[in-house]
Amino acid sequence: MSAQPAIMREPTILDHGENRFPLDLGVRIPRIRNLFHSATKNQWDPKTDIDWHLLELSKYTEEQLMAAREYWSRRAWAEYGAISESPALQIRFCQDRLEPDLQMFFAIRSQEEARHAEVCYLMAEHLGGFVEQPFVVDYQASVSTHGIRKMALDPSFSLEAIIVALVCGAEEIAFDVFRHLLDVTTDPVALQVVKAVMRDEVRHCAFGWYFMAHRIKSLTPDEIKVIENALIIMIEKVEMNGYHSAWLAPDNPASNAEVNADRLTWEAGLGATVEELEKPVFVATVQRIRRQVEPWGVELPVFEHPKIGKF
Amino acid sequence: MAAATQTNAAPPTPILIEKRFPLDLSESITTIRDLYDDSKKARWDPAADIPWQSFDVSGYSQDVRRAAALTWSRRSWVEYTGLPETPALLIRFCLEVGREADPKYFLAVRNTEEAWHVEVCHKIAEAFGGYVDAPSNDNYAALFNQAFSKQALGADTFLDGYVAAHCALEDGLELQLWRGYLDNATDPAVKRALELCVDDKKRHAAFGWFYVEKRAAQWSDADRTAVADTITHHLGEVEFKGYHCAWMAADNAAEEIVVADRITAAAGLGALTPEAEAAIVSDYLALARDRFAALGIDMPTIPIPAA
Repeated sequence: MSAQPAIMREPTILDHGENRFPLDLGVRIPRIRNLFHSATKNQWDPKTDIDWHLLELSKYTEEQLMAAREYWSRRAWAEYGAISESPALQIRFCQDRLEPDLQMFFAIRSQEEARHAEVCYLMAEHLGGFVEQPFVVDYQASVSTHGIRKMALDPSFSLEAIIVALVCGAEEIAFDVFRHLLDVTTDPVALQVVKAVMRDEVRHCAFGWYFMAHRIKSLTPDEIKVIENALIIMIEKVEMNGYHSAWLAPDNPASNAEVNADRLTWEAGLGATVEELEKPVFVATVQRIRRQVEPWGVELPVFEHPKIGKF
Repeated sequence: MAAATQTNAAPPTPILIEKRFPLDLSESITTIRDLYDDSKKARWDPAADIPWQSFDVSGYSQDVRRAAALTWSRRSWVEYTGLPETPALLIRFCLEVGREADPKYFLAVRNTEEAWHVEVCHKIAEAFGGYVDAPSNDNYAALFNQAFSKQALGADTFLDGYVAAHCALEDGLELQLWRGYLDNATDPAVKRALELCVDDKKRHAAFGWFYVEKRAAQWSDADRTAVADTITHHLGEVEFKGYHCAWMAADNAAEEIVVADRITAAAGLGALTPEAEAAIVSDYLALARDRFAALGIDMPTIPIPAA
């Protein structure tokens, strides 16, 4: 007999019913509507738009292939998380009756997240097989979620804080690391996958800055403080704890195994990177974010990490 | 724009807590995976694939333009349903242990298509003189506040029942009505818009039927009763109150839309008369009843409101 599923019984935005009218469908944030249109024009299909036949497994050792399978499976787990996080934000936009541009862009953004999960899954499959769960159970919690879905449905949680933490924080860091992968990935198929995903991620990141440019003037100092705290928590407690990059996680068997898999995958040019190359990218991204949010009145402190020092 | 959420006394909607691993992303319902792959191949662009440049409304009278604007505004209101509903359904599939990967992929792309449909309907309404952002009758407006996202995401909703009522029955009915709008359209731009949307809606309806056909074998008697109850509720409290067919609304609450639809239909701008819609509804429900019967579901016979 299977165990009863765990259920959350906390207030959410769903408890308030629907109030559809007046239903605004006009263009209210042109730059975000343009992102929706751009995403429409730039669709691709992981099955047919990647030259999978160019993947030559014979070029790699068994150890490298196993590591790369693990790496791309881990990417698939993370992208899969977004399949249910992006829609939660869309429900929030609809429930709060925010600008229709947000709702339309997030409809296609969720599809792109599904596409990314699919392409990472296919990459792992082509390398020998998708891995359905972390080999080390301890690692499951860190790749399961960063809590965005729950926050998006929580009426007491500031939407701006979620967007800033998720998009202007976590997604910017992920994007810069991904862009760096273009320089260190040599396998032609892995490179195609990285490029294809990155083209979508450009829009995902742009969304956050466009959204905040539209909203920032209407926020009070207290609301800006909430944003600041959320961004600090995302960087300090999530990213610097190894959410995207295993080498940032505290030393333990789980993170060590991931770091090892990343190194083997990187050596093979199959799409990962390593601590010594990623560290300056990570630091530069955080410093850039600090500069970009400063005009909003958001002050990011100097962070400190045992493997980086102060930055 | 300020957030509209406020706390009230309603009990919290129970929501499942995700147990992600082991994560199965493999293909397990081939028919639905094919729909997903077909959707990716059939991608289209509302801005580029409809001949907006040659869309000239000046040849239609003021009355026709006003009517068409209202017909297509109402269609926007109905199409909008998917924008919050599909994300909720997608999350629900992700949260419920053992649900297949194929519906998750498919629902992700379905929502993009729904966004395109909303934008197209809105654009046509604007072209005919201006989108109308609400029904004039408050009772009719209230019909649209169905909170489908709460139903879809609520852990106390039987997911298969929801899919049967909304993705199979409702989306199937919607497809038949849109086919009718298409058959009755003569304006090239309107016709092209309807063609593209109908192609998407074929997949949307197929998804619902494929999924319930896949799941039916494992339903208990109680599950079948729950499915039938959900269908009964949807037909009686939503469809037959005028959700898709405005003439079904009680007390002529949507009279101005019924009148507008007649004018729009006569002008070949993508609508149907109540009589034509009634025939479609009757035929479709008879087919749906047979299809559900084959799955062990006794679909209720509820009198269709008179046109």
